[in-house]
Amino acid sequence: MNAISEAGFGERFVGLARRAGLDLAYLSIGGVTAVIAFCVWVTALSVTLSLIVFIIGLPLYLLSVIAFRWTAELDRRNAALLRGRPLRATYKDHKGESFLARLGSTSRDVQTWKDLGWLVVHSVLGFTFAVVAVSLVASVVAFLTMPLWFWSIPGGVDWGLWNIDNLPLALLATVPAFPLAALTYYIDRWMAMGELWLAERLLEGEEAPVDGAPAGSGPNIPLSSDSLRRMIPAGELSLAVHAAISGLIGIFVTVIWLAAGAGYYWPAWVWLALIIPLSLHLGLREAVRNHPDRRGLAILATVSLVITGVTIAVWGLTGFGTFWPIWTILGLIVLFVVVLLVQLAWRQLYGDERERELTERVETLTETRRGALDVQAAELRRIERDLHDGAQARLVALSMQLGRAEEGLADRPEIAALVRQARAEATAANAELRDLARGIAPPVLTDRGLAAAVEALGTRAPIPVTVEAAELSRRPAPVVESAAYFVVAESLTNVAKHAPGAAAAVVLRLDDEVLDVTIADDGPGGADVTAGSGLDGLRRRVAALDGEMRIVSPADGGTRIEVRLPCGW
Amino acid sequence: MRVVIAEDNLLLREGLVALLREREIEVVAQAEDGEGLLRIVGGHKPDLAIVDVRLPPTFTDEGIRAAVEARKRHPEMGVLILSQYVEPVYTAELLAGGEGGVGYLLKERVGDIPAFLDAIRRVADGGTALDREVVAELVGERRAEAESPIDALSPREREVLSLMAEGRTNNAIAEQLVVTSGAVEKHVSSIFGKLNLSAAGDDHRRVLAVLAFLRATDGG
Repeated sequence: MNAISEAGFGERFVGLARRAGLDLAYLSIGGVTAVIAFCVWVTALSVTLSLIVFIIGLPLYLLSVIAFRWTAELDRRNAALLRGRPLRATYKDHKGESFLARLGSTSRDVQTWKDLGWLVVHSVLGFTFAVVAVSLVASVVAFLTMPLWFWSIPGGVDWGLWNIDNLPLALLATVPAFPLAALTYYIDRWMAMGELWLAERLLEGEEAPVDGAPAGSGPNIPLSSDSLRRMIPAGELSLAVHAAISGLIGIFVTVIWLAAGAGYYWPAWVWLALIIPLSLHLGLREAVRNHPDRRGLAILATVSLVITGVTIAVWGLTGFGTFWPIWTILGLIVLFVVVLLVQLAWRQLYGDERERELTERVETLTETRRGALDVQAAELRRIERDLHDGAQARLVALSMQLGRAEEGLADRPEIAALVRQARAEATAANAELRDLARGIAPPVLTDRGLAAAVEALGTRAPIPVTVEAAELSRRPAPVVESAAYFVVAESLTNVAKHAPGAAAAVVLRLDDEVLDVTIADDGPGGADVTAGSGLDGLRRRVAALDGEMRIVSPADGGTRIEVRLPCGW
Repeated sequence: MRVVIAEDNLLLREGLVALLREREIEVVAQAEDGEGLLRIVGGHKPDLAIVDVRLPPTFTDEGIRAAVEARKRHPEMGVLILSQYVEPVYTAELLAGGEGGVGYLLKERVGDIPAFLDAIRRVADGGTALDREVVAELVGERRAEAESPIDALSPREREVLSLMAEGRTNNAIAEQLVVTSGAVEKHVSSIFGKLNLSAAGDDHRRVLAVLAFLRATDGG
């Protein structure tokens, strides 16, 4: 999905208007520079060539070169409108060269000849483009404002097929302004791109820096016409091509009409035929961007609007008789209303399908997440049990056998010492496994439940801890128990670490829905609750169970950690 | 001495039996779960039961529960719990019912055969044998509760009491702390005084002191 389709309609409109304005400005200025270029190259070439046989022609030749460069510079500056920074070119440095040397070096300067080429091409192309661009925009404005000025033309505005001499007709005449505006936009776009493309080829020096302009140095639009995809977003390229082809066909047909001596403006039918698919293209593209729920209605509305426009246009082109399109319009309105009502009724009956889908999805996710957590908790207990029955039991058996071996080696004290050392290693390994197992799934928690495990934590803590856990009438799910246990363990460790002189109180409360765990201490407060601390890990653990964790740790003393774990499952 | 063993892990059970038989301690019966323990204790009336905490079918604290029940039925029998875990809660539960004849050792202590045999004999004779890690956890990091008489003890007296809880004699304690046995005797009588254990014989007072100490840790 490109950026354009994500922006709101208002934003997109502003963006389009801004780009259209820049294109028009670029093409109009190009038209003026085209006139200047024409004057310059025609004058320079005719004068210089005619006088070249005389000595006087040589300085004139140099003067012409300067004129070419200056004129070309105008278009380099103009390019800044579209690409954010002007085009750059470097010429041969003539400083310190003699007159004759300068003649030679100038004639070998490629950029100067490219400038001349540009001036010749631009004087024709730039002028034509400017005229087309300005006339198109002027037509759009003229149609759009027709109701304001039609009366000032004596006898009404004669527009080929019909004569606009009353307000309703003038209002009707504003309708074609919209498709014409779309056409204008794309035709201008392509003309501007074409002109800029040529300018870059001819006016930009070989060694010019590439896209080195600092950000924000000019209008915020793509810098180079090299990639049309950047200038015209991917989704709009097909539309642009469509509009440009339609516009060119229309202009071509109009030219034929003019050449055939004007008269009945039959190209209006051609325009109509061109505009129908174009408006369908544009309208459907917009409609499809709608929310899936409204997409059907949007497509229906677009098609209806196009059909309405076509029938009205046909009615107008056939000379405004009885307003028969009213039947088409009425039919379409009825159809739209019926579809709308059916859709509303459907939703009323079956609910918003999307919302239902989302609800189901959330339910599934909640269930599976919970399932994953339960599986994980069970897995941890299994690992603990495996350690207990496997590695730890083997280490114990090993200790026992080493002990017996030691006994039997009473007469070989040096070997007995080795065996004793081995036994000490086995004991140490067992102690490490014991700590590991306790960190994974504390046996007392598995065996006796949360209250007993928390009391054991309190006993074990190096600070005075009171535990109030009388109301634990049943055992919450293992995963909840384990989360609560580790919250208490980590909190008490924190208290002992950061407030060794403090006393702590742990309160556990369990009702039908929620397990409340509160750990309060009378330490100095100001606990670090930022990401990365142990508390942050606990917070995530609690959040995974849809629980909440609140830490109140004022700087003037005392820290209170409150955890609410839902356990209604 | 007649001993029964409740241990579900075959490797360990066989190892224990072999070890004890070498030392001419008679293993009269073996069980694999809590119910089996109660049955063989009822049938053989042993001097001592060596019990693993985790037994089938629940693999949680079956052993403790069965041992508590067995002692309720046969108070004269000693119970030595073997566990992979340091859990003072279990020790306290075990001691709550009787007056000594209780031990709680980490399983790997079995490797130190003389000490293990010593613990077995002591528990069978009605003494205590608590693992030094359990004791360390109880003493070294105990919370201070103003009402507990344990808090009246000086640090040195607590050290002595911990060693008593492990089941050491006065001489062994003196050796450990590098003091004379006379000094240890002084500490011990001071402990008895502070814990109000003036009557009864010395051995029994030692057990009571340890019990008081353990009860003070069991949530007050």
